[in-house]
This record gives sequence, structure tokens and C-alpha cells, in this order.
Amino acid sequence: MEPTREGGGALVDLLDRILVRGIVLDADIIISLAGVPLVALNLRAALAGAETMLRRGALGRGEAPRGAPEPEPRGWSPAGPALR
Amino acid sequence: MGTEGAGVREVSLREVSSRGGEAGEGRYLYCVAEEGERRALGPIGIDGNQVYTIPAGRLCAVVHESPAAPYRSEDREVAEGWLRAHAGVVEAAWEVFGTVLPARFNTIVRGREGRGAAENVESWLRERQGALLDRIARLRGKAEYGVQIAWDAPGAAAQVIAQSPELRRLEEEMRSSSPGLAYLYRQKLERAIRAEMEARAEVRFRDFCDLIRARVADLRAEWRKPDGGGRQVLMSFSCLLRREEAAGLGEVLERIQEMEGFSVRFTGPWPPYSFVAPG
Repeated sequence: MEPTREGGGALVDLLDRILVRGIVLDADIIISLAGVPLVALNLRAALAGAETMLRRGALGRGEAPRGAPEPEPRGWSPAGPALR
Repeated sequence: MGTEGAGVREVSLREVSSRGGEAGEGRYLYCVAEEGERRALGPIGIDGNQVYTIPAGRLCAVVHESPAAPYRSEDREVAEGWLRAHAGVVEAAWEVFGTVLPARFNTIVRGREGRGAAENVESWLRERQGALLDRIARLRGKAEYGVQIAWDAPGAAAQVIAQSPELRRLEEEMRSSSPGLAYLYRQKLERAIRAEMEARAEVRFRDFCDLIRARVADLRAEWRKPDGGGRQVLMSFSCLLRREEAAGLGEVLERIQEMEGFSVRFTGPWPPYSFVAPG
């Protein structure tokens, strides 16, 4: 299986990382946002929709690979079962 | 993928003033890189801003001059453009400087108490120099890959019932009961199936973690419980490894993909957004 950077699913993976991962600086030297940025919620929801449409060919930009999982909105538990 | 950088876009005065803050008061941070000189990367930043480095010691911050206010928009296209530009700058820095510590979107350093934003960036780099260099050393030569594994719940539920005499018996009782009683049996059956599926998902998660961990330098794993409805992404992994070793990871993922009911999405290589802090 080859990794890809193409398609709606890959775009969501990338934008997810840019929105919630990455260096966080000390609060006293950065501009902080109260709550979840509006761009995060709207964009992720919109992209999840776009990925579904891609898979069904509605957007005409080509099919995502068959069997590829649809991107999901956040709601992950990092805890979950204990990892060795 | 569109990470070659957003084109130059005219910024409307309304957007600039609606974001608040005076021009130039902040430094928008894209990433930290292993580079000790002042360098210019061109007008590849958000809104076509000039991107350049602020060096300190053996490191630098890759920035653009911005108002001291976060980028906000309700317009999806605008927001997507900004995010793509951010991704594009981090990619460019990755190519030019080798190893980078990507910053989160909207990380804007401000001035404070008589010290300007650029000064704050520089002193932050000096104060954190050791820790940042350590982290860069760990990431050198490696890239991040994303793995998401989905599970076909209805298929799994059918398997669970077929393999459990207890649950088959419960299903029998349900079918041969009056409507009221059948409803109660259904509730009980669904709860039992869900519990069994959660248990199986957990076992699978551990198995897949082990399989994947053996092929990567570092791993971040997240999971969620099956909610009983259709096909669902259960596991999400961020993998750190050398690009040459991605084929080995791909082999493991191919085996998982071939398992009944599982499907895998494999993306990357990405700059190492998920590995900038100690795990």
C-alpha cells in the first residue's frame, strides 16, 4: 500500500494536523483564541462533506481510492485502551 | 495536493481592518528550522505575505509580519486558502532547510511590555534552544504519515452473533416473543453485541498498534469506540519514520486492509506536525 497526498481524505489529514498539532508557544507571547477557531469547525465539517462527495464522484474531481475510510470529525479518545 | 503554495491574493482593506491590530505588530510563525542565518523565502505566505527567517543561535523561526490578531473567516474558501498557504510554507521550509518543527495554524507572536514581536521570537528561540535542537535531532531525516483504519460494523455484528451461542439464543428468544417482549430482548441483544464489538475492537487496536509500531520510529495512536452504526473509522495513527521505510509500513497496512471488514487510509509524507513535543 502506497501513501498518498492526493484527494479529500489526504487534505483533511493535513489540515487536521495544521489546526490541532504543531508547536504551541507560551501563552504570554502569543495571541490566543478563545474557544475553537471558527475556521476549524466550519472547514472540517465542510471537508468531511467534500470527501464523501468525492467518493461518490459528485464533485467530478475523481474517485478517492476504493475502501479508503471517510474522514471523521474529531471526537477521538487519546486515552482508550492502555498501550504497552 | 496544492501544497506548492497559494498564489498571491489581494487582501481587501475590510478583511485587514476587521482582524484588528496594527500592521506589523505580530509575527506569524510557520515553523522552526535548523538554520542560523537570515533568509528570505519570497511572497509565499498567507495572503501573499513575504516569508523570511528570524535567526537565533543555530535555529530560526520562519515567519511573516502580521497584525497582532488571529486569522478568522466564515468563508470556507478563504480559510482553506490560508491553511494551504500555511502548509505550503512549511513544505518549502522543509525542502530548503531539511528539518523543521511545524507550528500550529494561527500561532502569532506579539510584542509585549516594550519588546517587539521579533524580539520575542528571538528570545524564545534562545531560551528554548536546547530543547528545540533535541527535538530537531530526533526528527532529522524522518517524515510523518497518517493511518486511519475503519471497521465495517454491520459485518462485524453478524460475525459476533454467529460466533456466540449465547447471543444466538438471545436472538432466537427475540424472534419467538410477543412484540413487547421482543423489544426488550432486542435492547438486551444490542447491548451485548455492542459490548462484544467494543472488546474485539480493543483487541484489534492493540494488535494493529503492535504491528505498526514495529515499523516506525515513533507513533501517536488514537481510537474511538464503535458506535454500532455502519462503517466507522476506529483508529487513527500518526507515524514518524524515514521515507525509505514507508514501504515496510505499507506492507503491514496492506495485510490489515485484506482482513475481513477493515479498510485503511494511508497518507503522507507530511512534515512532522504531530511529533514536535515529547510524546
